[in-house]
Amino acid sequence: MIMGRLVKQKQGQFIVIAALMISIMIVSIGAIMYGAVTYFRYERWEEYLAIIDNVKLGSHRLVEMSLASHTLTLDNATLKNNLDQWRSNITKAYPGFGLNLAYSNASGSQYVYDVNINYSCGLARYWYNETSFSVANVTFTLDITSVGLSGYEFTAIAFLRMRILDVAWSSSDKDLSIYLTVEREGLTPVTNLKKSNFQVEVAGYDSVDFTVTQYYSGTYDSFIYEIRCDSILAQPSSVEVTAVDARNIKVIANSTVT
Amino acid sequence: MAHTQGREHLRKTKSNKGQMRVVEALLASLVILVAITFINVFAVAPSSSMYEASESEKVGYNVLHDLDEQGLLCRFVYNKEWENLTAALMTSLPPDVYFDLTVYYLNDTVVNEGVPIRYGNPNIFETSGSVASVSYIVPGYQTNYDPKILVLQLVRE
Repeated sequence: MIMGRLVKQKQGQFIVIAALMISIMIVSIGAIMYGAVTYFRYERWEEYLAIIDNVKLGSHRLVEMSLASHTLTLDNATLKNNLDQWRSNITKAYPGFGLNLAYSNASGSQYVYDVNINYSCGLARYWYNETSFSVANVTFTLDITSVGLSGYEFTAIAFLRMRILDVAWSSSDKDLSIYLTVEREGLTPVTNLKKSNFQVEVAGYDSVDFTVTQYYSGTYDSFIYEIRCDSILAQPSSVEVTAVDARNIKVIANSTVT
Repeated sequence: MAHTQGREHLRKTKSNKGQMRVVEALLASLVILVAITFINVFAVAPSSSMYEASESEKVGYNVLHDLDEQGLLCRFVYNKEWENLTAALMTSLPPDVYFDLTVYYLNDTVVNEGVPIRYGNPNIFETSGSVASVSYIVPGYQTNYDPKILVLQLVRE
């Protein structure tokens, strides 16, 4: 009886049909959400991100290490040898992920950090000048085939620059003051150097005793190191300062004495 | 009389329509309820052990990465400062997380042989159902390329 009336009531059918359509929509959206949520929930994204971070940081450390080795030994092959081994070795840490790391050493001339750098095999040294630097620059491309990641590119740069701002000899105190700044990549001042990180050679003197102080200079508007050499009886023609930072990257700068 | 009967018929028809509306609304609600119930059948939460391991892995990676960024991890590993490394991990990890770190050469021999870098009962790593394991590679220290692989196992108390 009721069903018969229902069939006859065309307005009522509309409500039921609307409800059916809403139900179909709910089920469809639910199915899509289920697929998406379970994919993102069970896929180990955090692990992949951690692997990428590990490879990035390790690669950066490797470039720093290779530059340090290059500046200490002047061996141009260090970087390439280390990179070749590194790309092979990281697969041992993450077996089954399908890690593939390719690299491309910087080459040619590039203007970075206010200096023109001529790279050779990803390395460049510009020493024995008032502004001297050591730099390594490698671009990496990472694939993780197990998750379909391909062509993730990042650049690792290691840079150390020393600028001799002024060298002043005092005829009254018979001492020599060298003012210099040391900066790393991003032109971030290096503020943790001690006396043991510096070597000073003064032209005409076999060895010199010196002290190192560091402070912010309003004159130069930067954080500077002041190296004071005692018992410099006559005005020398030039000084040579060697700095080795905490990463063991070396740079040598030269300046004439005013 | 005929007029009165006509009005009575109209009232009955309207009343029937109203009843039908209620029946239709009930049917519509039933259909939607069935759909929602059907969806909920598939909304199965993942097992807690899987979540647990994933969270612990995240914490483990972050701790190793932070120590590496600060330059401490390589110093501890390459200078074999195992006590300092244990203390750093204990400080960095939550107090209810037990850990066991093993450092390997690339040829799979153990660097910290006989010197466990551990916090917690060693049996818990064998008996617990949700042990998180994290691998981390460090390329070397200072100027020497000498990669080592760190495997950190974590269990929540």
